[in-house]
Amino acid sequence: MSSVAPFTASIAAMYQDALLAHHRAPHNRRVIESPSAVGARKNPVCGDDITVMVTLESDAVRDVAFTGRGCSIATASASMMTDAVLGLTVSDALALADAVDRMLHPDAGQAGSADAVPEPLPDALTPLRGVAPFPGRHGCAMLPWQALREALTAKR
Amino acid sequence: MSIASLAPRADFPLLAANPALHYLDSAATSQKPAAMLDALRHFYETSNANPHRGAYALSALATDAYHDARATIARFVGVADADCLIFTRGTTESMNLVASSWGGAHVGPGDEIVVSAIEHHANFVPWQQLALRTGATLRIVELTSTQTIDLDMLRDVIGARTKIVAITHVSNAVGSITPLQDVVRIVRSRSAAVIVVDGAQAVPHLAVNFDALDIDFYAFSGHKLLGPMGIGVLVGRRKLLEAMPPYQFGGDMIEWVRDADSTWNVLPHKFEAGTPNAADAVALAAAVRYLDGLGMANVRAHEIALLEAAEARVRALPGVTVYGPPAAQRSGVLSFSLADVHPHDLATILDQHGVCIRAGHHCAQPLMRRLGVSATARASFYVYSDGSDVDALVGALTAAQQLFATVD
Repeated sequence: MSSVAPFTASIAAMYQDALLAHHRAPHNRRVIESPSAVGARKNPVCGDDITVMVTLESDAVRDVAFTGRGCSIATASASMMTDAVLGLTVSDALALADAVDRMLHPDAGQAGSADAVPEPLPDALTPLRGVAPFPGRHGCAMLPWQALREALTAKR
Repeated sequence: MSIASLAPRADFPLLAANPALHYLDSAATSQKPAAMLDALRHFYETSNANPHRGAYALSALATDAYHDARATIARFVGVADADCLIFTRGTTESMNLVASSWGGAHVGPGDEIVVSAIEHHANFVPWQQLALRTGATLRIVELTSTQTIDLDMLRDVIGARTKIVAITHVSNAVGSITPLQDVVRIVRSRSAAVIVVDGAQAVPHLAVNFDALDIDFYAFSGHKLLGPMGIGVLVGRRKLLEAMPPYQFGGDMIEWVRDADSTWNVLPHKFEAGTPNAADAVALAAAVRYLDGLGMANVRAHEIALLEAAEARVRALPGVTVYGPPAAQRSGVLSFSLADVHPHDLATILDQHGVCIRAGHHCAQPLMRRLGVSATARASFYVYSDGSDVDALVGALTAAQQLFATVD
């Protein structure tokens, strides 16, 4: 009979210092008083929820912030997301959300196989690569990106 | 720590094949003993035919096996009239059956349905939806500071308009045991309501006697008590079941079909549409015999010993909140939070140490709201759990705290 392997991927690679630093001191965790767009998503697995607020100017993200509660992965991902999308156009920000999604999902051919070439992502998002081998946590990492998508799609 | 398991790990093929695995998620689903798996295989290898259908010996064999399984399980939960034990897909389907059939026939505008704030969604949402559908009012009984049902509030809420009281026997999220006798006394003295009890977390852990409880419906699932997934039970009082309309149509529940209308089979068949899940029923009966062999009093004593030992050591960690009443008033569930480490992060880290726990809202979102959290970590023990599982849990929690640097 085959045995059950616990997660063998490196926990340390996921909970690397860079990610934990975002979790402990998240960037842009605040309220934007009159945002151009708002998106909110809940993780049905655990009830975590993240709200993302965006201020747009000439189709570019001039300000972005988040509130809500989540695990370290969701919080750090939200923090990194706000850094990464600041200044991007709506299209580029949505494309970046898609790229993060593809990076996390091995089925999309990026993170799963050893010889897959990792899709370029901004350096600020590098710590999120550690989450890819943990399918149970993809939902946590994507939560703020889904909220961002909701906000930007509604605004389009 | 030297608490031995009550049931040998060797009886459980998955645990035997994974000696380093610490399975502490039995409240989600239990591991399966070889005796149950053998019974499942034996049915398909020796008795497989459609029960009740064939005029040949093999079908009679299947019918007998199905009938015997019902009788065995009825004895286990104290039901003298075995025809009042309906096989369903699980607790969720059992609750939906009662809500749809009894509720649909008896509940209307102005009526009240009473649930508690600790209910699993399976014993909350069917009643909430029944209320919305019929114009009845859903009343929610709040909890004491240790997450047990507030009997004073129950007393205030129950009245002449109460048609249904749906309450859990044991909380899946925090393990609190409902004082059912008190609940029944209060409800019976103030209303003519039917009492529906969710026994999904009780039957695996406590000796249950339906006939002695003076309730109307009792539901539980097979997979939490060493049985297969996809089979469960609804027990009801004959008078109510006979008066209720069918829940689903087709197969064994039919008596006569005329062009314009139809009549229904007798109990229990009236509520078992389609080909019955005979193999899983037979396997569930084998699981029940296995538990009987261990003795439910021993199961309870074993869980309390493990729970008390685990709770003392987990409470000794910095920043821990444990939910629920004292261990002696809980089933084998330890639900807790660790300051600054989200339950999801805990579950991932514990998994690397071979420790399986549940992290989340446990399908009890109304309760989580009242606790002011989005999720808790839940370790749940059963007959195959032992002191080494507690050691592994505490060791892994310490490692998690170190990783998150909440301790030096």
